[in-house]
Order: sequence, then structure tokens, then C-alpha cells
Amino acid sequence: MNELDVRTVLLWIVVVLLFVVHFSLHIGFSYGRGAPDLLTLGLLIAARETSLGRASVLGLSTGLLEDAMSVLAFGANSIAMTLVAVGGAITRDLFVGDSRHFLPAYVFVGKWTRDLVHWIGMGSEVRQPFVEQVVLQGAIGSVYVAGIALVMSWVLGAWGEA
Amino acid sequence: MPPYGSEPESGSRGRDFALTAAVLFVAFGAVYLPPTTQGRISSTLQVSALRPFIAMQSLLTDAGTRRVRIEALQATLDSVSAAMSTHQAVANENETLRELLALQERAGPTYRPATVHRPGTPGSESTFLVNVGSRDGIRAGAPVVSPTGLVGVIRETRTGNSVGIDWTHPDFRPSAMLADGSAYGLIESRRGAFREGDRLVLNGIPFHEPVDSGQAVLTSGLGGIFPRGIPIGTVLSVAEEEGTWRKAYYLDPIAEPAAATHVLVLASDSGDDASQAWDQDTVGVAPPGSNER
Repeated sequence: MNELDVRTVLLWIVVVLLFVVHFSLHIGFSYGRGAPDLLTLGLLIAARETSLGRASVLGLSTGLLEDAMSVLAFGANSIAMTLVAVGGAITRDLFVGDSRHFLPAYVFVGKWTRDLVHWIGMGSEVRQPFVEQVVLQGAIGSVYVAGIALVMSWVLGAWGEA
Repeated sequence: MPPYGSEPESGSRGRDFALTAAVLFVAFGAVYLPPTTQGRISSTLQVSALRPFIAMQSLLTDAGTRRVRIEALQATLDSVSAAMSTHQAVANENETLRELLALQERAGPTYRPATVHRPGTPGSESTFLVNVGSRDGIRAGAPVVSPTGLVGVIRETRTGNSVGIDWTHPDFRPSAMLADGSAYGLIESRRGAFREGDRLVLNGIPFHEPVDSGQAVLTSGLGGIFPRGIPIGTVLSVAEEEGTWRKAYYLDPIAEPAAATHVLVLASDSGDDASQAWDQDTVGVAPPGSNER
């Protein structure tokens, strides 16, 4: 395997790990909002590594997994994650993303977009007020995940250079 | 984060868009699926891909429940242990009080029940306070007895309490006799090298008077301070001999001053014979003056 293949394999391992840790924290340990949305982080990373179609399939799959635990708003996560995955795949054509600041900003916007779409898809009878759920909780959650992405980029960058 | 890779090796752009459109259609369609179908999809995912995480949640919940249960059991165990640890002391005290009540019934109403307090300060060894005083009819020189026998004597009385000395005090000198009345002497306390070494001695016994080990020693009633017949102890061995006219004997005291928490104090003259108040079987002898020996 050449260096690019190794990097790709390692990146997918990180993505799978993020998915596993996300479900462990949210379902296994029942941490709820205390745990970061690592599923969206993993999806956003994976979306820039694969084609548009595959990214959308991955988005739909992860969205359905989230929806499996969402009784009252089934489908909202599927839509949100699919759109985020498609958006993430499209950004590869728009941004090269070689800046250290790109990943946190990309993750921040992606996560916030996911929360916004999810809020819209939930339906008015289930969702909380826009300011509370999207503006406040969405912003805090996005900063949380972006912070993790920033740390990850430092760690993986240092690891890649070593 | 490492730089992103080259273009993915996907098929044609058109096929990619078609797949994306189909996926988006499915994603949006999921919202409008019948609830039963949505539930079936959820159940399928829960028992397949999400099963390990749900199992982990169950394990952690069970562990948490067990931990709470263990803590509750531990708390219960602690409460039971605390209750059990105090139970023995309460049971002992209860037994002492019952014996004291029985003794008071036998001894008569002139004996006042009292609680013993030991100051515990330096220099206060061998002394104690009782919560009865002159207003209860207690006078200096009144004997202090427990269900087993003579504990000490009152030295000072105040209105509501009194100060007494137990048999380890050097000034404790009641007149005594062998239980069969064959010999009379004087009780004295001899200090040992340490407090546990204090010995009770029956002094002034005629040299040729036969005294066996284990014989009971009672108050003789001579001198008018202590009524006759209160158990003091039993003879252990010869302590000393003086010429051919006197012997002294070590005694095994019958009352443990440190264990005496509740006592009876003689309030007034109760007559000169208290021997019937004590069970002679526990003393080990027949009452003085009886003809059984």
C-alpha cells in the first residue's frame, strides 16, 4: 500500500471509531447532550473522502440509525444526515481544505446545519422553540464538536508528521 | 488533520447524482412512512446494528442498580452492626439493673439506687460520684453495694450527690470476718506497682485460725459503719505472717469497682444485718450465724 492508501485506511478507521464511540456514549452510557455529536463529525470527515453518491448512502445509513432511537420524529435524522453528507461531499469541489482552520469551521457549519435541518424535519408538534434548540443548543453543540475536530486535527496532524 | 486525498474513484458523475437523488428521495420518504413501517425499521436496527450499544446500556443500568442495592444493603448492615454493638452494653446494663432491683427488694427501702460517675481526672483514682446526696438521706460512711457485694463507702455528701471511695482506696478499712464467723479482721487495700496490681487484704486473723482458700469474707458489722453480712471477697492465699500471732490473707474481691455503674447506697440505719440481701449461693457460703456449717 502506498502512503495515500494508508492514510485513507486510517481515516476510515477513525470514522468508524467515531461512530462507535458516539453510539456508546449516547446509547450505551446514556450521556445524552453531555456527549458530543461524533456521528456528524465522522460523517463530515467521511463525506470529503468519498463520492457524492456513497456519501449520501452513508448519511442515510447513519441517519436511520439515529432515527431507530427516535420514536416521535422518525426520518428527521435521515434527512438531516443525508443532506449534511451531500453538502460535505460537495464542499470538496468548492474548498481544497488544506488550512488547519478549515476542518473546525467546516465541522461547525456542518453540525449546525444538521441541527437546523433536523429541527425543520421534526415537525412543529415535537420540536422545541427555534431559539432554544437551534440557536442555543445548536451553537453550543457545534462549538463542542468543532473543538473536538480541532483537537483531532492537531493529534492526527502531529501523528502524520511523526 | 492530514490533507484530503485525490478525487474518489467513483463512476460517472451522472450515476453519482442519480444515486444521491434516490437516497434523498428515500430519506425524505422515511418521514412519510406509516408508523408501523417506521417501527419495524427501528426494531430491525435496534436488534442488529444498535444491539451492542443497547446491551451495553442494559449492563450499565443493571450495574448501577446493583451498586445502589449494595449501598442500601451496606447501610442496613451498618445500622444492624451499630445496633448490635450497643445491644450488648444495654443488655448488660439491663441485667445489672434487674439484679439491683432484686437486691433492693431484699435489702429494703433504706437502700437508694444510684448511678456511679467516675471523674477520670488525675488524682481521682479510686473515687467516684453517685447521684444521691444528703437530701436522699445519704450520710458519710454509708456503704455502697452492688448486686455482687461491697463496692465502697461514701466519704462526703452534698445535697444532690456524694463522693465515695471504692475498695482500691488506701482509706477503705471495713471490719470483716470469715463467712462462718470463725475469725474477724480488718480489710485494707494494698497498692501494687500499677493499678491492676492493687490487692485486697484481710488482716489481723489469728495465727492458728485455720483459713482455707476460697472461704468467703463478709463485713462483720463491728464499728457500726457497715451492716453485717455484705460480701467482700474470697480468700486467695496468705499475704504475710507476723510472729506466731497474726496472719494476713490476699482476697479475691467480689465486686469490680470499674464495672459498677449502678449501685445501692445505704440511706439510713438499716439494722446491723444485711446478709439476707445477698444470695449466699453466689457468695459461696452459708449466712453468718446459721448452723449449716
